[in-house]
Amino acid sequence: MMWKDKYKIGVELIDEQHEELFRRVSEFTKIIRSEEDWNSRIDKVKETMDFMKDYVIDHFNEEEAYQAKINYPEIEIHKKAHASFKEGVDNYIKIFEEEGFNEDRIQEFGGKLMTWLIMHVGNMDQKIGEYVKSKGGQI
Amino acid sequence: MKVEYVNSFYKAAKDVFQLMVDIDPQRGDLKLIENISNDKDANVELGVIGDLKGTILFSFPKNMTLEMVKILSGMEMDKIDNFASSALGEMANIIGGNALTLLAKHHYTCDIVPPQIFIGEYKPHPIDSDKALLLPLLTPIGEFDITILLKENK
Repeated sequence: MMWKDKYKIGVELIDEQHEELFRRVSEFTKIIRSEEDWNSRIDKVKETMDFMKDYVIDHFNEEEAYQAKINYPEIEIHKKAHASFKEGVDNYIKIFEEEGFNEDRIQEFGGKLMTWLIMHVGNMDQKIGEYVKSKGGQI
Repeated sequence: MKVEYVNSFYKAAKDVFQLMVDIDPQRGDLKLIENISNDKDANVELGVIGDLKGTILFSFPKNMTLEMVKILSGMEMDKIDNFASSALGEMANIIGGNALTLLAKHHYTCDIVPPQIFIGEYKPHPIDSDKALLLPLLTPIGEFDITILLKENK
C-alpha cells in the first residue's frame, strides 16, 4: 500500500498524519499477509490494531478540530463518514473480543481498512485541501 | 430503466477506478438481459432501497480481481481470499455510494444495503425475473460488468 503525493491536501499536520496512517496500515497488511504461522504473528497483529485504533481516533479528532477552525462547510458530512468508519472498526473489535483473533476475520477487516483509507484520504479529504486553496491557502 | 441510473454508476466506477488503481474504464455496449446473473469469478451484490429499489451487481474475472488488489496493497495476490474479497466488496460499496450521491442530484434519495460477496458464478434468483441492464467496462487489466436492476419506488 503506497503513499502517493496526489493524496496530499496541502495542510502539513494532516498530510503527516495521513502518511503515518498509510505506513501503519501498510505494516498491518504486511503482517496479516505474511506466510508465517498465524499464532506467531498474532501478538504483532493485536499490538498494531491497538495502536491504529487510538491513532485513527486521534487523527479524526484533530482533523475535525481543524475543519471547525477553518469553518469547513462540509464538516458534518465528514464527521458522519468518520463516525461510520469508527463504528465499523468497533464492530470488528467486538467480533475479535467475542470470537478471538480469527485469521479469516482479520483478513476481511484488513481488506476493508486498506480500501476505505485509500478512498477516504484520496477523495473526501482532498476536498478540505480544495477549500483551503479556494480561500487563498491562508487559513 | 432510465439513462441516469446507468450514467451515475458508470461515472462513479470511472472516478473510483481512476483514484484507487489509476485505471480509466471505458464503456462497452449496454445489454438488456432477462435476469440478473453473471458467470464471472467474483460478484458483489449491493441492495438499493429508498426512492429506487433493486440490486446492483459488480462482476469481476479472477485475474482482474487479483491485479486490482495487488495495485491497492502493493503485494502479490494469488487467490481471492477474505482479504481480496473484502477489498473488492468495499470498492464496489464505495462506487455504489458515490453513484447514489450522483442520483440524489436527479432527486432520487436512496440507501445501500451492505455488500454481499459471491466467489464463483452469480445465479439468478428463481423468483425475480425482471429485466436488467448489463454495462460492460473495459480496462487494460480485464473486463468487468455492472448489472443494474432498479425500479422507481416513489
